[in-house]
Amino acid sequence: MNRDSREGAQPLEGLGLVGGSPSMPIGAELGIGALDGPKPRSQWQLFGSRFLKHRLAVFSLVLLILLIFACFAANLVAPFPANEQDLLIGAVGPNANHWFGTDELGRDMLSEILYAGRTSLRIGLTVAFLSTLLGTLVGAISGYFGKWADQGLMRLTDLFLVIPQLVVLAIAIQGFGSTQVVIALSLAALFWMGEARVVRGQVLALREREFVEAARSIGASPMRVVFRHIIPNCLGPILVGATLGVAGAILTESALSYLGFGVQLPATSWGNLLSSARGYVGTPQAYLIYFPGMMILITVLAVNFLGDGLRDALDPRGNNG
Amino acid sequence: MKLRKYVVTTVALFALLSMSLAACGSNGSNGNSAAADGTLVVGADQEPDCLDWLATCSGASWGTYAALVTTLPQPYETYASDSDSGAYVYAPTGLLAGEATVAPGSQQIITYKLNPAAVWSDGVAITSADFKYTFDQIMSGEDIYDTTGYANVESVATPDPQTVVVSFKDSYAGWKGLFSGGYGVLPSHLLEGKNRNAIMKDGYSFSGGPWKLDGGKSGWEKGVSITLVPNENYWGTKPSIKKVVFRFITDTSAQFQAFKAGEVDFLYPQPQPDWFPAVKGGIEGATIKATADTSSVEALWLNNSKPPFDNESVRKAIAYSLDRDAIVKRLFGPLGVNKAWQSFNPPIVAAYADPAGFSGYTLDLAKVAELMTSQGYAKGSDGYWARDGVKASFTLKTTVGNKRRELTAQILQAAFKTAGFEMKIKTEDAGVLFGESGPTGDYEMALYAQVATGPEPGNCSIFCSVNIPTEANGNSGNNWTRTNVSGLDDLLQALDVEIGNAKRIEISKQADLLIGLSATSIPLDPLPNTVIYRNSVRGPVADNATMGPFWNMNLWTLKG
Amino acid sequence: MIQFLGRRLFYSIVVLLLASIVAFVGTRIAFDPTARLSQVRDKEVRERERERLGLDKPIAVQYAKWVGDFAQGDMGTSEVTRQPVATMLGSGLSYTMQLMLWAVILSIIAAIAIGVYSAVRQYSAGDYIFTTVSFIGISIPPFWFAFIAIQFFVFQLTAWLNLSRPIFYFVGLHSTGASGFNIDYLQHLFLPVLVLTVQNIAGWSRYQRASMLDTLNSDYIRTARAKGVPRRQVITRHALRNALIPVVTVMALDIGLLFGGLVITEQIFSIPGMGRIFVQAITNGDAAVLTSWTVVAAFFVLLFNLIADLAYGWLDPRVRIA
Repeated sequence: MNRDSREGAQPLEGLGLVGGSPSMPIGAELGIGALDGPKPRSQWQLFGSRFLKHRLAVFSLVLLILLIFACFAANLVAPFPANEQDLLIGAVGPNANHWFGTDELGRDMLSEILYAGRTSLRIGLTVAFLSTLLGTLVGAISGYFGKWADQGLMRLTDLFLVIPQLVVLAIAIQGFGSTQVVIALSLAALFWMGEARVVRGQVLALREREFVEAARSIGASPMRVVFRHIIPNCLGPILVGATLGVAGAILTESALSYLGFGVQLPATSWGNLLSSARGYVGTPQAYLIYFPGMMILITVLAVNFLGDGLRDALDPRGNNG
Repeated sequence: MKLRKYVVTTVALFALLSMSLAACGSNGSNGNSAAADGTLVVGADQEPDCLDWLATCSGASWGTYAALVTTLPQPYETYASDSDSGAYVYAPTGLLAGEATVAPGSQQIITYKLNPAAVWSDGVAITSADFKYTFDQIMSGEDIYDTTGYANVESVATPDPQTVVVSFKDSYAGWKGLFSGGYGVLPSHLLEGKNRNAIMKDGYSFSGGPWKLDGGKSGWEKGVSITLVPNENYWGTKPSIKKVVFRFITDTSAQFQAFKAGEVDFLYPQPQPDWFPAVKGGIEGATIKATADTSSVEALWLNNSKPPFDNESVRKAIAYSLDRDAIVKRLFGPLGVNKAWQSFNPPIVAAYADPAGFSGYTLDLAKVAELMTSQGYAKGSDGYWARDGVKASFTLKTTVGNKRRELTAQILQAAFKTAGFEMKIKTEDAGVLFGESGPTGDYEMALYAQVATGPEPGNCSIFCSVNIPTEANGNSGNNWTRTNVSGLDDLLQALDVEIGNAKRIEISKQADLLIGLSATSIPLDPLPNTVIYRNSVRGPVADNATMGPFWNMNLWTLKG
Repeated sequence: MIQFLGRRLFYSIVVLLLASIVAFVGTRIAFDPTARLSQVRDKEVRERERERLGLDKPIAVQYAKWVGDFAQGDMGTSEVTRQPVATMLGSGLSYTMQLMLWAVILSIIAAIAIGVYSAVRQYSAGDYIFTTVSFIGISIPPFWFAFIAIQFFVFQLTAWLNLSRPIFYFVGLHSTGASGFNIDYLQHLFLPVLVLTVQNIAGWSRYQRASMLDTLNSDYIRTARAKGVPRRQVITRHALRNALIPVVTVMALDIGLLFGGLVITEQIFSIPGMGRIFVQAITNGDAAVLTSWTVVAAFFVLLFNLIADLAYGWLDPRVRIA
């Protein structure tokens, strides 16, 4: 192993505010990801059938689709309208009318959670999309062009990995206000480094391949080579990285909410529902803490299982799940 | 095996290092149940930035409650004179030999006679020189928090050690708050000619009150606690509790969990609804006392210079859209506070308030319709009032991260919707709301509290038209609502210089009525204060609206 | 090796300098150190303060002065508490270090044990349970986990066992009046350390498992087994050592990042460490503290990056880093 592949160890752990390596970039570390280069088309069919065999991942995918649907169609699905208060009943525990109970304003928690889910999922998906885009770009440019572009971009990556995320987030939010757009953008600005390193590694491995040489020799522009020939061949790891981005963004937004920098009322997210219920620890209304947290856990868990399934399906050796 | 040896050695080293860190500055004692050894543990939700009370870093109210009123002598203290009206008055403390006297004549001259028994903790008498020193520091020191009132003083004379004569160049009705409130008298014999800030900011060993910091500077363990022990040389009633520890628990909701779990014995929490359910049914073995007789009024502030609230009828319609009693009951019902407050003079100056102006505004949708149609508004198909195609829509701004205000905003939103107004909610950082939006008038409606620093009426700073922030006055006025009611300036300005109390009450009530009838803004509720303590704490425990609940802690006892 | 180390060191210093520029400029843009004075009635105070802090000068000049002072160990004075920033951060570090040390020790031991067990007993019931639990561990919002832990270990447990005082505490690292290393300390340490470790144990044990499986399937281990070396000996002496190489690297990198995670844990458990200092600095707009805080945190990440590099070279004699 040389230093470059060792750096692959780092890509995905920037996620949690609690450090740790929530995303388990095992594939990257052990070179499991599709480092072995381009695959024929049928590889994708192979991938599909391998993925379908990963029952937990398929189940997670279905669950996520259902969840996304339930949240974004909350006005059709939710038993009560958003923010509908019933001041007379106040906070009551789960019952037949209110499956998840009600909060101190008598709002149905199930409905509130579905509406809040829109924000959380929107942030998660946006951040994953933007950071994947950015990471792929940086990684591709860095890997393909090498030299000073590589040096410069990788130092920039180092810089972003070194400055505590919370500092950047908190300063951005203080400076530009804690709107959802600012939160999503600043989170995206913090989640691209892993992707960039993975893509860079892939590009480094691919750029000397015959088919890339061939493309170059017939006069394809560097842009074309990168975007037509190289990136499509590392979609797998990019996809895995993107799923983990969703998980990281949802977790980080909830942590920001706890610190008071997250999505601000009247907009709700799972994070701020949870953080406004923190006073109920140790009281009979503890159910107000359980449900929003459970939603985050289930979503992130499903995303992680999905990412795991994708990784397994992409990995021909596939015994290290 | 080599690897295991490394692991074992590393772990052992880590453990040793950690133990030595944990033992830093330790005396090795074990944790004991608080009450058993005569220690009272108070959960404080704010840590002061410094204990130099004159400096700008001393703004934290918990600092005042815990360490200022307990350690420094003040000539006047406040207390509830009348439990029915909730009004507070100033009373001379034991530092004075009696009420200070006001000299007859046009110039305001106040003479304080000091109690000869009053001494600092080192036995040196508290004298007029200390007053003079304190005044000089406030007026000539750098980085001073507030010079209001002191700037009106011409001179502080010290004809003899027990006599202080304060002469004013401009009359100042609130003179009893001088050397009291957020400040106290400082020992000139220890500070004169020295760097006051350096000596005091991290904690000081002197005291002129019933308590002193345990070991001076070491009584404040940064981030952890402030510890008070009795001042053996206190000339008044000496404390019976052996030690009081204020533990900083900055996560407010964790305070209740800590109280329940037995880690603290006393709480003085912000009125935030997320803990009300916790106290609703009472807490076993604990006393909960809530009072609405406080110094803060939470209100809906209307920008009188911006549509739709530049129109007096719309402002009144807004006032008729709300069942304020019901809102207050919803917010503070579990604490026993069920009535809206009908004045911008808070309960502690109830004697100066006239509720007649605002109490007329009750939920009355017919009245709303009448007022709105009179101004050319009609209800659209969406249920909102509109005029010339413009919807009666406005944004409410309030501070970020305040659960109670967020909740209030959501209740208001629903109520205004019923009445035909569209209200949007925007939360802003307190710094932005109070530093930019308010002063520059960049808001339509705002929700925040107005806090009186002492039992003194008068709202000229926030309602006199001369205090509207403009280019001319360097945007420095505090009349953020741009209230401009004819005749109001005269009344409020007269109130600030009038010394005779009966006259002041009369003027203040007239002003209140004027404010109420023009609905320049709408008061909602007094923010209730709550003390929660274990039943092992005995004595006259009660909140003091301006001094905090610890001002008479020397009279408390702990049942072992 | 020396040359490699020198180059890494050089890069680290460059990155640290860049980080300090970002931190300095960022905090200057986001915070006005004199904002807290906007409520002070004496209007001149703010002007004087701006002058005193040198805010009227160009930002490059301010930065140059700051970095010069910093290099000499002078981190400036907090605009809010009027204390030297170095003193505040030093005091914060003494608490943070306690949490980090225990969290790191526990996570390493638990993660390696779980990882090895799961790999050796691949597809056993235990392996599946650990796999599931670790997936939950990495997916759980840490502060929610803290709430649940407080709810369970403090309130439920006390109620079920009918105790008069809880076994575990959640305010600070000591009871009032207590100090030093004793039972009370451990009772306070348990919950915050639990919250800090759960993600690392979950993540690292997965690494350990994958890496161990990789090693166990390698030819030289099979050879060793075929030659009749006892299974236990193969696992501990040959496989574990090699399997640890990538894991230790990842651990070192994560430990550097743990610093950020303390923000939430310290806030929940009222521990006056670096995390609390950060939250207070942000809330009070204390720019001087924030800038230095960021640089110190970045320093730790870089330090552990270096340690990771060293550990890598040290553990794997095959690697000759050049």
